[in-house]
Amino acid sequence: MSGMLDRIRDVRVGALATWALLVIAVVLNAILQPTFFSLYSITSNFATFVPLVLVAIAQAIVVVGGGLDLSLGAIVALSSVVAVTVMGGEDGRVGLGFAVAIAVGAVCGLVNGLVVAVVRLQPLIVTFATASIFSGSALVVMPKPGGTVPPVMTGIYRTAVAGVPVSVLAVLVAVCLWLVLRQTRLMRHVYAVGGDPGAAYASLVPVTRTRTLTYVIAGAFSGLAAMALLANSGSGDPFVGADIALNSIAAVVVGGVALRGGRGGAVGAVVGAIVLAMAANIVFFFDVPTTYRQLVNGLVIIGALALSVLSSARRAAR
Amino acid sequence: MTTLALAQGARWKQALTNPIVLASVIAILLVVIGQLVSPGFGSYGQIINLLRVASFLGIIAIGQTIVILAGGEGIDLSVGKVATFAAIIGSRVMDGHDANLALGLLVPLAVAAAIGLVNGLGIVYLRIPPFVMTLGMLGVVQGLILAYTGGVAAGRAAPALTALVNGRLALSIPGVLFVWLLLAIAISLLLHRTRFGWNLYAVGTNRVAAELSGISVNRTVISAYVTSAVFAGLGGMLLLGYTESVFLDLADQYMLPSVAAVVIGGTLISGGIGGYAGSAIGAIVLTVLESLLTTLDIPNASRTIVNGVVLLLLLALYGRQRRLRS
Amino acid sequence: MSGVTKHYGGVRALDGASLSLEAGEVHGLLGPNGSGKSTLNKVLAGTVAADRAEITLDGRPLAIHSPRDAHRHGIAAVYQQLSLIPDLTVAQNLTLGVEPARAGFLRARVSAPDVAETLRQFAPALGDRVTASTPVADLPPGEQQIVEIAKAVMRRPRILILDEATASLHRDQVSLVFDVVRRLCAAGVSVAFVSHRIDEVMQLCTRATILRSGRTVASTELAGTSEQELVSLMIGQTRAPEAAAAPRAEKGEPRLTVTGLSGQNLNNVSLRAHRGEVLGLGGLQGQGQSELLLTIFGALRAREGSITTSSGRGARIRHPRDAARIGIALVPGDRATQGMFAQRSIQENISIVSLARRLMAGVAISARRERAAAASMIDRLSIKIGRLTDPVSSLSGGNQQKVIIAKWLLNEPGIVLLDDPTKGVDVGAKAEIYALIRKLTRNGAAVIFNSSDDRELAEIADRVLVMYEGSVKGELDAEDVTYDNLVSSALLIGMGDQHRVGGDESGTA
Repeated sequence: MSGMLDRIRDVRVGALATWALLVIAVVLNAILQPTFFSLYSITSNFATFVPLVLVAIAQAIVVVGGGLDLSLGAIVALSSVVAVTVMGGEDGRVGLGFAVAIAVGAVCGLVNGLVVAVVRLQPLIVTFATASIFSGSALVVMPKPGGTVPPVMTGIYRTAVAGVPVSVLAVLVAVCLWLVLRQTRLMRHVYAVGGDPGAAYASLVPVTRTRTLTYVIAGAFSGLAAMALLANSGSGDPFVGADIALNSIAAVVVGGVALRGGRGGAVGAVVGAIVLAMAANIVFFFDVPTTYRQLVNGLVIIGALALSVLSSARRAAR
Repeated sequence: MTTLALAQGARWKQALTNPIVLASVIAILLVVIGQLVSPGFGSYGQIINLLRVASFLGIIAIGQTIVILAGGEGIDLSVGKVATFAAIIGSRVMDGHDANLALGLLVPLAVAAAIGLVNGLGIVYLRIPPFVMTLGMLGVVQGLILAYTGGVAAGRAAPALTALVNGRLALSIPGVLFVWLLLAIAISLLLHRTRFGWNLYAVGTNRVAAELSGISVNRTVISAYVTSAVFAGLGGMLLLGYTESVFLDLADQYMLPSVAAVVIGGTLISGGIGGYAGSAIGAIVLTVLESLLTTLDIPNASRTIVNGVVLLLLLALYGRQRRLRS
Repeated sequence: MSGVTKHYGGVRALDGASLSLEAGEVHGLLGPNGSGKSTLNKVLAGTVAADRAEITLDGRPLAIHSPRDAHRHGIAAVYQQLSLIPDLTVAQNLTLGVEPARAGFLRARVSAPDVAETLRQFAPALGDRVTASTPVADLPPGEQQIVEIAKAVMRRPRILILDEATASLHRDQVSLVFDVVRRLCAAGVSVAFVSHRIDEVMQLCTRATILRSGRTVASTELAGTSEQELVSLMIGQTRAPEAAAAPRAEKGEPRLTVTGLSGQNLNNVSLRAHRGEVLGLGGLQGQGQSELLLTIFGALRAREGSITTSSGRGARIRHPRDAARIGIALVPGDRATQGMFAQRSIQENISIVSLARRLMAGVAISARRERAAAASMIDRLSIKIGRLTDPVSSLSGGNQQKVIIAKWLLNEPGIVLLDDPTKGVDVGAKAEIYALIRKLTRNGAAVIFNSSDDRELAEIADRVLVMYEGSVKGELDAEDVTYDNLVSSALLIGMGDQHRVGGDESGTA
């Protein structure tokens, strides 16, 4: 019994502040938008959350391992245009589309992983460079927005299964995927490598392989995010995902994941992503004049970032 | 091989792996390739033009260099937006009149310094990681830009400013290049010949040892971020002089290239090692590369790819981290 | 192992060294700093790639290219530098890298009994509240070291390397570890033991190999060898550190008075350091000695208490900058992380503290003045360097320490705080540092000296304050400052407060 309790404790988000922010965000949203809890509103809200949530999970995995990935947005773009092209609008090819998107994402992640872990270059600059490469490639595949997404995808995405919106299900499935991953030896090694790479190496943890795999997995999750994006938008767009990488980092930090690695988890990142997405909503509904909206948004984000960092720092100092 | 020959060989190798030398060689190589492919690329006028375009990146990279040298995973993601904001404020204050020149220079720089101060305070006293803090400020500054302009770009640079930036002072070299040179010399003196500079290197190398050597680490780090924002603002102002009128995202694109320039120039991302000369040459390399790709008439998509690949190659040449096994 | 050779750039760390271990023996590896003993066992453990090495195990030749190879052949190593992940639990750390798994998924149940058994074995050395799910970051350094040792033992090695593994342990913990080692040897495990505490080596090892300058100079049975003979084999000549030769300096007026100082790990400490006196800090390691020095220096915040200098005025020291300004200097305990700027030049390392004194027009640094200042220090302290522009990391440990001392001497301090200044320093440089301390006190400075080596303390201190759990519990003066008194006072002074029965007291007279 204690083993299971331990494992539940492990899933703890880490920063109490993150949950507090979530509660505040939900409450504010509910107050400002009385229809917030209606099925329609939740469906449409979550439909836009899903890509960021998936990329936040991806970013969390890389960051816990001690790295950083600025190219996730570009990977989403590349995966989405390739998938759209391959599917060609045909319902029967949706499965193929998923496979292709994940594969493209994983391959991009492999490139990132090899350059960071094997060639041993700084993740920040490397992923900045590969982001150029991937988004350039997306433009080569699809120079202009276009293409059609199979109707079954867009159709299902906006419906609900047993009263639960598909997009909410998607988030739940993603979180479950993460929880499963967390039980693997690989993820334990990811935490070790992020916590202290030298110590991990001396303890026979395959550091290079572990680091590379974090980027591969992140790429795969980004491929999934690409599919969610396609299901939401209905067509292909090589320019998509421009801000998603930086936003995912903000989500990850708000979610209590330490940028230096070794601490935190994807659950926190998911909560962080939702908090950030809802913050934008709140600002909208507070009827802030348009010209001031972005400023308030920025201040809110910085506040959330500060709060998260401060509370996890206090925990660490204990 | 005699020991003397070995020693000389070692010195050659050391010279070649010196990032500044390497970057310079690459810059020259790129110009030569450009000249071969498109005669006139390497002409005096063209090179001067290239340098002028590079100068804005180069000046913004001054602040980035200092922040990265300070260590502690220092980085300033807000430099692009700060530069834009400074240019916007400057253009409004000056509004095309020379009489407002002084004010039009001081106000934006003061605002930039304030933004840098907020960055520094958040990083030092709230212990927010620099990446996160400057990322957040980036959003705030963007919001400030929108709030200040109401979404409309207005104002013009004072003619004196434009004359300074674009006017040919000697050997038909535009004024901005002289400004860049002066700033480069000033920064190098600051880094190598003042207490602030030596303190900066110490703080970037080992914060604990710096503290225990009587250096005020907090003050040094905060100063670094203020300096970074001020130079970003300066870069933005000069860019304003170049374009004469302002756009809402005038200098945004300089953010990541400024980091790339610093890294290409041999300054370690972890801090404590490096200097400005490398960053300046890094800025030139990046600009020449971009220009070469445009000249080769490579479509935008492929250009982005090539940019990325070249950056990776440059990093691989001398940016490698230590092995975990000695 | 034979013919082991390793170069680091131009420095020859190992030059054909050799070592032979028999089953079931504890074998000491001795040698001065820079002799290569750490490098040798790192080659064995796979963390360093030798240029050349012939290694055989049970007669069969081995190639060891990585820690994984070493692990496969049953070699495990424990260093003073830990390989633990702070945010993971004790159990997770114990199984790190060798976690049992099926299809990639962790199976904690499989390793749980092993973990429990290991924890039971090491329980006396760990705190009461330490369990398998305690995060390692919550443990004090000594207990973390115990977990590190437990981790190696849990892998059931055939050869166990302990390289300065006992450095941060209390006497109780050390004797527990020795018991474990003896049990392992009885089961046929070979143990290679490296420690700078010769008495530990004499106590535990049956044979020892002595290295000097990367070569094996001797391999001997310890039973019939005296410590003097070992030391002389290590230095290459019979020369004991000359610290005791100089007469004790005259004690003058107090230069530093500390009253009721409380802070991190400090409890109401009061002391007086006089001109011309070397005041030692004794007691077991980790009882607040370093914290006391850091707090006086302003690097740690004082909750209460006051500090006065000879000027009579109370000093407000809130930052090392304030301390430096009133003439206090601190040479910190950990050279690499606290004392020096490894990649920066020797010049910068020497100049950094006192730059303000030599500025031109109060702003500009003069290269000429800095070079002159550095040269004067290098001369005065006999620091062996290549060029001033070389990185300070290129120097040997002893010379690095001298550079750190030099940087403070340029500030002309009246009160010098030294935290274990000769740790990891070779015998020759040690003697020079002792002589320097003597000269400082002769010129009127007050020195407060913390040392992990009781013999060193006995030789150099005029007076010793014995510390226990952050307070000064006793004082030894003049003739009472002897090795025996220091050891016994350190142990006895806390007797009343200890809540755990100590292991057998193994002080060698």
